[in-house]
Amino acid sequence: MTESSPGVRIGVDVGGTFTDVVAVRDGELTVTKTPSTPDAPDEGVVDGLELSRDAAGYAVAGVADLAHGTTVATNAVLERDWADVALVTTEGFRDALAIGRQDRPDIYDYTVSKPEPVVPRRRRFEVTERLDERGEVRTPLDEASVRAVADELPAEIESIAVSLLFAFENDTHERRVAEILEDELGGDDDTVDESGDSPVSLSLSSDVRPEIREYERTLVTALNAALKPVMDAYVGRLEEAVADRGIEPALRIMQSNGGTIGADRARTRPVNTLLSGPAAGVRGAAHVAGLRGEGNVITMDMGGTSCDVSLVRDGEPTVTTGLEIGEYPVAVPSIDVHTIGAGGGSIAWVDDGGALRVGPRSAGAEPGPVCYGRGGTQPTVTDAQVLCGRLDPARFLDRDADDPGTAGIDRDAVEAAVAEHVAEPLGLSVPEAAEGILDVANASMERALRVVSVEAGHDPRDFGLVAYGGAGPAHAAALAESLSIPRVLVPRTAGVLSALGLLVSDRLVERSASMVRPLAAVDPGAIETALADFEDEGWAQLDATTDSIVVERSIDLRYAGQSFDLTVDLPEGPVTDETLTDAVEAFHAAHERRYGHASPDEPVELVTVRARVRAVVEPPRLSAAEGTGSDADQAVHGTRSVVFDGTTRETPVYDRPALSVGSDVTGPAIVDGPESTVVVRPGWRATVDGYGTIVMEENA
Amino acid sequence: MSDESDPRAAGGTGGDGKRDGLGGSGGRGPTGGDGERTDPDRDNIDPITLEVLRNAFAAVAEEMNANLVRTGYSPNITERKDCSCALFDADGEMLSQAETMPVHLGAMPFSVAAALERFPPETLSPGDAVVLNDPFRGGAHLPDLTLVTPIFVDDEGTDGAVTADSVGRSADDEPVTDDLELLGFAANRAHHADIGGARAGSVAADSTEIYQEGLRIPPVKLYDGGDVVTDTVELLLANVRTPDERRGDLRAQHAANETGRRRLLDLVGDHGVGTLRTAVDAVQDYAEKRMRAAITDLPDGTYGYADVLDDDGRASEDVRIEASVTIDGDALTVDFDGTDAQTAGPINAVFAVTASATYYAVRCVTDPEIPANAGAYRPIEIETPDGSVVDAEPPAAVVGGNLETSQRVTDVVLGALAEIAPERALAAGQGTMNNVTFGGIDPRTDDPYAFYETGGGGFGAHASGDGMDGVHVHMSNTMNTPAEVLETAYPLSVERYAYRPDTGGAGEFRGGLGLRRDIRVRATGSTGVAFSLLADRRTHAPYGVAGGESGAPGEDVLYRAAVHQSDADDVDGPDERTEALPAKCTQHLDAGDVVSIRTPGGGGYGDPADRDPDALRRDLADGLLSVESARQAYDTDLVERVAADLDATVDGDESAQSR
Repeated sequence: MTESSPGVRIGVDVGGTFTDVVAVRDGELTVTKTPSTPDAPDEGVVDGLELSRDAAGYAVAGVADLAHGTTVATNAVLERDWADVALVTTEGFRDALAIGRQDRPDIYDYTVSKPEPVVPRRRRFEVTERLDERGEVRTPLDEASVRAVADELPAEIESIAVSLLFAFENDTHERRVAEILEDELGGDDDTVDESGDSPVSLSLSSDVRPEIREYERTLVTALNAALKPVMDAYVGRLEEAVADRGIEPALRIMQSNGGTIGADRARTRPVNTLLSGPAAGVRGAAHVAGLRGEGNVITMDMGGTSCDVSLVRDGEPTVTTGLEIGEYPVAVPSIDVHTIGAGGGSIAWVDDGGALRVGPRSAGAEPGPVCYGRGGTQPTVTDAQVLCGRLDPARFLDRDADDPGTAGIDRDAVEAAVAEHVAEPLGLSVPEAAEGILDVANASMERALRVVSVEAGHDPRDFGLVAYGGAGPAHAAALAESLSIPRVLVPRTAGVLSALGLLVSDRLVERSASMVRPLAAVDPGAIETALADFEDEGWAQLDATTDSIVVERSIDLRYAGQSFDLTVDLPEGPVTDETLTDAVEAFHAAHERRYGHASPDEPVELVTVRARVRAVVEPPRLSAAEGTGSDADQAVHGTRSVVFDGTTRETPVYDRPALSVGSDVTGPAIVDGPESTVVVRPGWRATVDGYGTIVMEENA
Repeated sequence: MSDESDPRAAGGTGGDGKRDGLGGSGGRGPTGGDGERTDPDRDNIDPITLEVLRNAFAAVAEEMNANLVRTGYSPNITERKDCSCALFDADGEMLSQAETMPVHLGAMPFSVAAALERFPPETLSPGDAVVLNDPFRGGAHLPDLTLVTPIFVDDEGTDGAVTADSVGRSADDEPVTDDLELLGFAANRAHHADIGGARAGSVAADSTEIYQEGLRIPPVKLYDGGDVVTDTVELLLANVRTPDERRGDLRAQHAANETGRRRLLDLVGDHGVGTLRTAVDAVQDYAEKRMRAAITDLPDGTYGYADVLDDDGRASEDVRIEASVTIDGDALTVDFDGTDAQTAGPINAVFAVTASATYYAVRCVTDPEIPANAGAYRPIEIETPDGSVVDAEPPAAVVGGNLETSQRVTDVVLGALAEIAPERALAAGQGTMNNVTFGGIDPRTDDPYAFYETGGGGFGAHASGDGMDGVHVHMSNTMNTPAEVLETAYPLSVERYAYRPDTGGAGEFRGGLGLRRDIRVRATGSTGVAFSLLADRRTHAPYGVAGGESGAPGEDVLYRAAVHQSDADDVDGPDERTEALPAKCTQHLDAGDVVSIRTPGGGGYGDPADRDPDALRRDLADGLLSVESARQAYDTDLVERVAADLDATVDGDESAQSR
């Protein structure tokens, strides 16, 4: 038995341009898009909800679930527009946050700079105390040194991070520091004050990320502190606005790890939401593939400026703690999204060595590609698609149909731009140059796909490719061909996959703590105690009915002396000597699989214990797509001259909404949809499955 | 001088006491390429295929590197990433590289040349791999083991040895054919944590001959026709302290080259041998064209620069390195005439290391975006005096040549280039890697341990901003060991890890700050702890440019607990409680002793009078610059004015980085 919701389920994803709302009622999906309002994203969310209600015709009282993907924390990091924050740390380590790992961002370009420290040095303070690697006290906390910090804190400080060495082993010093600061400053500890106007908020490293490696832990704690007032204010406004409109269920907010969390938790742990939107997208893609029984897919979300690539195995997105957001290595569990600067707006140019390059500069949304007719003069990937006949320039003009300034734009402007900036400098014809731009863009995307698959030890031939985002479906088949990926899926909801993904994501609380010691010296009872505490906390936060909760326990192990560890699952039930022995066996096997060798005689070290408490959310049941006919011809609404591999072919153009379930389209073909265009290459065929997903496969 | 000991022998041209770079116009690169290519097709490859294959070659090297880091055994490879991978063409010319350790990358072509000299193509077959570390035959210093794997192809686009896990479209089941031709090489270099010799870790500061530094491996086959050569492996493992770890790392190096071989054959499958060979030449020509264009932008003339190493670890005299850089149209020559003779102590660089440091410096100042393949280096010629500290002959000790002298070579070449292109000038960075080793018995486990790490410091300032604080400079880019990891693994503790205020050279843009790292011996076994330091820039400061001042030199002190019969609260000396350490030394330590390593700051750029008052204010507010130092280095009135209203005007969200 899992949580299911008979009422209307709503997912709201805020993107840079549009706020997408997906509403599901009785299996019927209603998709709406409204402009985002970057200065106050909650207003855009409310606009979107109102439009969705009107479009789908439901009563707000019937809303049973409201899930939200937000970029508030992400944008705050990218723009460094966050709270006035201070850091309290162990004596001698005030600069650890700024030094980082002492490597430089680029080997040859000496004009690059290190990431700006989240907390400037004048706001970083030391207290006298020291724990050893087992959490034993080497130097007791000097409380006077804490009071001295409180006296020195500038008045404008809104939020304080506390990160002491080895606090993951023993949090008593951090807690005592927090108590004293609260006493002195009159603030609260890590809870949202009902009034919302507490003078200072605290983030402790032993709460936020109690894991070994002081730089990474302190950075995450400092980011959390810097984001807390921002997220707190945003979620507070949004909750109020939603309640005012009569929507009752508690807001769920997407985390980077692919699970949602209650709004109150998001307010205190904003650092866990930095990848909210992309994580929801990968979840959505995994779900659509899963409906067809495909558990292994690579996902590719290509928009105007960038392309996000990720890998899903057995239905579960790959999770990493190695992502960078802005310039910062944010070591919290996140769906592993690899981003490259290749989008529809990436600009093509010829460098001084005479090579054709694409990106990293982008025309963005304004002025956008030449074909948008908004003043863009630099040829882009989207312009190349237009010249190759794959995209219809009229589709871009529709957006500004009321704007007389766009009326005169046609292929000629696009051709002229490609001729001037690419074809003439290279001595190529315009069609050759246009297809060349696509080949070069595909080469960099192919590299990204290889990073998430081959470089992580996965053979792309064992995976499907789910393409979404405005530009993804036009490039997917060519990429699949060069990587021998057998199948491309383009979901019906490709334009709002993140919003859909919100509805299929479980509620999830993750807790972990490092306990680095030889496994042979570990009392299973100590692991059991730690895990039980985590689980109690998870249950309390999820506040869910007993039968919908799933608990997953795992430990990270490594060979003594190594620096990389592997996560091994523990079985249900208490931790015992037997379960640990089994875990070690599983570790040797996993090591052999991943690294190609194992050393069963080497001593094994425990690094971190982890619990994931999951309230399973039943995905909304979507009705099968409309229609059952298999005659695709009725969906053809014309032909275009399309260039494939240097040859221009008169190619049929299908109207995606008119393609019914079971339709079978033989490439070459173009399928125009409301949000994206699917290119079916020669030698490929496309069918529409029962969920409206276009499935492309190379002919045998 | 024997042929075997002279890397020039691989070039196949006469010895006039001078050498040039890889494939330079003089034609005496390590592979004898003459740079005057006559392939009529080379200009005819279309620019799209060129860019697609250039991307692909780079991706292959990156995939090799990802594979090596993933399957490596020792933390030095898996965490610090002290390894590099590259692809080479059939002539041994570098095609692409994964950009990790700068000191490896320009030097690896010499390894391929040495392997080819020992094993000409007709003596190689699919499944072979050649290992070497001999600095006098293709290596750099003994801990760096390089593995070179030839890649063959037949008419069918395969070498008959493609394994089942190949990814892509290669013909997996093609039989071996007779018409195999050499297509190129996959090669990688990894720093092994021990290669034998007098001291654990094989980074001894006191060696005087290479024989003390560890096992010397000339080019020998590690794999022969797909089978491991047991004799080679047994001999190698018998001479090192941690054989299992070495075996694991060598296996990872082999796996990385196999990845390179399979991927290059995949590309043959996709594009055909002919196109691939043409592209191999074209990507090099493309890089050459861009490098020549970048050099042409520099004014013609000859510019000299000289700098010194503090000492060689044996004697206390300065060791001088001098370079003159000549720009002549689209060609650049670096002549190290005037450089001191090789030294008794272990700071001698072999030619490959000097070449690597020189290429690095030129690449920084011209255009870092130029693909780093052999073509980019063709316009660069390097001349060195035989038997000098930048072109050592056997049996010199060389371990510090790769670590320390390489840094000074970079400083000297950049110093000369600073006069040529002032707008792109870069002040000297810390110019050292601050190598430290602690070895002893861990009383918690009774197991022996050896802990090796290197330290960051100040980067040089430049026309577009301050130097970075606390980073590895130039020839190194490895990561630090977190204090929590260090203390968990070893009976040591980090007492302080901090910026050194006032160490960045003053200027319109200031140099980066050095670091201070205090490490305490928490406990020892019965043997105490053997400590060694191999560092430089303790006497001679990193230079400033364009009117900027020098960075502060490093200094290192030792607090002996037994002398004071108590642990130190803080080791702030040097003072009467501490002893100053020489830049290169070995010491015996006991429990409670604290070593404080303070690394140099970078040099400044431009007249300090032109410093942005806001930048000055931020440094003062952040305590990165003291008011006393500021008064000496900057305009006194300005400093007083700024210091007076610090609290009132500093905004926490302002960028602390000058632009």
